[in-house]
Amino acid sequence: MPTIYIDGRPVEAAEDQTVMQAARAAGVEIPHFCWHPALSVPGNCRICMVEVEGKGTDIACNMPVKAGMKVFTNSDEVVAHRKAILQLTLLNHPVDCGICDKAGECTLQDYHYRYNGEPSVSVDAKVPATKFNELSDRIVLDNERCILCSRCVRFTREVSGSNGLGIEHRADHSRVQPSSDGAFRGDPYSDNVVDLCPVGALLSRRFLYRSRVWYLEPTPSVCPGCERGCTINVWHRLEDWKLKSVATKENSRIARVTPLENPAVNGPWICNKGRDLADLFERPRTTQAKVGGRPAEIDEAVAAARRLIATATRPVALVSSWGSNEELEAFARHLGGRLACFVKADHRPREGEVLEDGLLIKAGKNPNSRRARELFGDAAPSFAPGTDLVLCWGEGFDPALLPAGAKLIVIGSFFDAATDRADVLLPASTQLERDGHYTNFEGVVSAFAACFPRPAGVADAEALFGLLAGEDAT
Amino acid sequence: MTGRKVLMDFEVTPTSHTLEAYLARGGYQALAKALRGMKPGEVTQEIVDSGLQGRGGAAFPAGRKWQVIDPHDGQPHYLVANADEGEPGTFKDRWVLEHSPHTLLESMLIASYALGVRHSFIYIRGEFDLPWRRVSAAIEEAYAAGYFGENILGTGFSCDIFVFRGAGAYVCGEASSLLASIEGSRGYPRNRPPRLTVKGLFQRPTVVNNVETLSNLAWIIGHGAAAFRQIGTPKSPGTRLISVSGHIARPGVYEVELGYSWAKFLHDECGGVSCDRELKAVIPGGISSQVLTGRDAKVLTPHDVETMILDHDALWQAGSSLGSGGMIVIAEGTCMVSLLRVMLRFYHHESCGQCTPCREGMGWLHRIVDRILAGKGRPEDIDLMYRISKANDGTTICGLGDAAGYATVAMLDRFRDEFDWCVEHKRSKYDGNLECRPST
Repeated sequence: MPTIYIDGRPVEAAEDQTVMQAARAAGVEIPHFCWHPALSVPGNCRICMVEVEGKGTDIACNMPVKAGMKVFTNSDEVVAHRKAILQLTLLNHPVDCGICDKAGECTLQDYHYRYNGEPSVSVDAKVPATKFNELSDRIVLDNERCILCSRCVRFTREVSGSNGLGIEHRADHSRVQPSSDGAFRGDPYSDNVVDLCPVGALLSRRFLYRSRVWYLEPTPSVCPGCERGCTINVWHRLEDWKLKSVATKENSRIARVTPLENPAVNGPWICNKGRDLADLFERPRTTQAKVGGRPAEIDEAVAAARRLIATATRPVALVSSWGSNEELEAFARHLGGRLACFVKADHRPREGEVLEDGLLIKAGKNPNSRRARELFGDAAPSFAPGTDLVLCWGEGFDPALLPAGAKLIVIGSFFDAATDRADVLLPASTQLERDGHYTNFEGVVSAFAACFPRPAGVADAEALFGLLAGEDAT
Repeated sequence: MTGRKVLMDFEVTPTSHTLEAYLARGGYQALAKALRGMKPGEVTQEIVDSGLQGRGGAAFPAGRKWQVIDPHDGQPHYLVANADEGEPGTFKDRWVLEHSPHTLLESMLIASYALGVRHSFIYIRGEFDLPWRRVSAAIEEAYAAGYFGENILGTGFSCDIFVFRGAGAYVCGEASSLLASIEGSRGYPRNRPPRLTVKGLFQRPTVVNNVETLSNLAWIIGHGAAAFRQIGTPKSPGTRLISVSGHIARPGVYEVELGYSWAKFLHDECGGVSCDRELKAVIPGGISSQVLTGRDAKVLTPHDVETMILDHDALWQAGSSLGSGGMIVIAEGTCMVSLLRVMLRFYHHESCGQCTPCREGMGWLHRIVDRILAGKGRPEDIDLMYRISKANDGTTICGLGDAAGYATVAMLDRFRDEFDWCVEHKRSKYDGNLECRPST
């Protein structure tokens, strides 16, 4: 463990670390564009220059640590150098922060204010480049904003493996471009390049001009897209910036989803499906309890369901593999003894969806199958002869399979064939409206938190189970 | 005559490049001597003793580069001849490739033996057609004669050689991007450490030497390091191939013994400046070496122009270098602002675009000098050009970015008055003239 000195402070570093890594581990931020902890080191942005006593300046990201070395991150030479590099980086950058989605979380913007802050010294025209360069139906590239750090290119080579992006031409005509075989369009991890981009060159079309980032806040959550259970940040409108009169729907919409770095599960990445959670959660919601197809008060519907359960001779429960650990345990506690329980796959792979790959995506498209199977067994749902009641929790049940004469209780959040057919329908909250935990296929438990309030007329499934079992019933 | 010869020691005829002619000149005897009578370490030691310096531009001692390689460390090593001669004004390697390809091949075999190399490469500039054909033909001859392949000369030493043609990028003359190009990647230089002699081609220890550097080996092994040291100056032994172009009566490639009088070389061998003009400036070693004024030569050497010698140390003292040996002679009446524009247009076009200072800086410099020549220069533009050049100094991944900055600074330093005049009068002092004809 060599000791190095960063700005006079002794720092313990590992043998194979670079100065950048050692500094970062010690909490010293050395400015960088092209360097990323999960990617290779190209050393092309040149802004991470530090001074080493007796050795002059060099880039920190490619500098191996050496016992006793004295590194200065803010010497006069380093400061002057950063300023010069920033002037060059910004030379052909359009500085259109006013209309840039990245403004507010842009490293170029931050560094400019922190280390330069002066107006441009150039009077010559900037080099024009492609705007709105459509890389795929998910991503547009503004080549003028691009500072050619090559993070996105390296991502497609080193992480996603699609080799979908490259750099064409030379000098200040260099352009990031998609490969001609269209590999980037089919890259299931392509949206990560939007987060990787240190400036606003790569833009998500889903988020394009949707919101300024400082109106948003992230809530940690878990992606329910597959058994991997990647940890994510769900971005939604800040409380103080909630819209009061127009477009108030925006207040309870997912603005965007970004990965929440988690070495135990997904590292710094998520797949594109995780970015599209809005499609999943913004489907038409069940907000009205129904009994026999007629709207009813929730208490009335609960009472009806409880009667059905109490009177059934052979009731079967289809347990949701989208339930949180807490909900599944509550179900087992309250209703597990009364009903024959089977774990149901709420979602199956959609057509064209990547089934499974070596990076993150898993074939099971339900987030909590593991915990559900631990509690309720592996058996596939089946209805013994004489089944007279089916309690279906969650989606994915085809009511055509319902045994003749059996009653159907549905606890669900979204409309589907089962909710239409239900004798009793109990609207339940979604993952975004409650706290909980999922257990992924490897047994790693991750927490999610509520982003939005529960809509009126919707109950938490966990509370419903107790009511249905007749406990605490009035 | 320009002193003793090492490479151009034969008469060029239509068949002098063939194996037959080369063998008649005593070719491949140095290889036999090395393979049969010397250990690899002894060959390396001989090169170290000879004091041979790199001829590609940096004049790094070739032996020191070789000593980093341990031929017995159990991993493959590679030798690459850098024949991507792209420095403007330089066309000396082309002479070797066209007229004496076997000298290069024999030398590469000797080097491969010394460094434990099984596979060696020649990376040849894509624009070189005749040189490529000559080298390829020479390789076929050498394979047929048993100088390449397995069990060479019955000694058990095996070596194969591959010719790789570049695709026209200046930056691929830089060793690390050259290797990237061979590997099939985009020709981007890469950061050191690790050095190429530690991790080079295919992540293995690799020696990249200039064609001319390598071509000296056959002579050194054949005649011995001591004999080589007899040629040239104590600090810079040997000869240099100098390609002279520009405003000179007899342009071409000359072999000059290091330490030879510069003035004599220019006046006697090359016939002096065209049209009997005064000498305004010389770019001594490709456009990336700093320009020297005709006056500099007089001021910076001990006495006068007659004693300025062609030698690395002398040129370093004068604030320039022998570089790649591409000498460009500039006559009085040439517009240096236009000349700088030509240079910057080249650097702008050829900057690989990987690292920020060179990618943005070269284009910026180019646009500024364009504007100055268009009569829209501002007095502060000169300082701005200094600043941009300085931002390139020591901050780029490869040496080409620094060199472009140095070359620009030297032009500004030594012809500042011309730039100021151009800014003040909104036109070039010499009407943008770059040519030297009796009428101009």
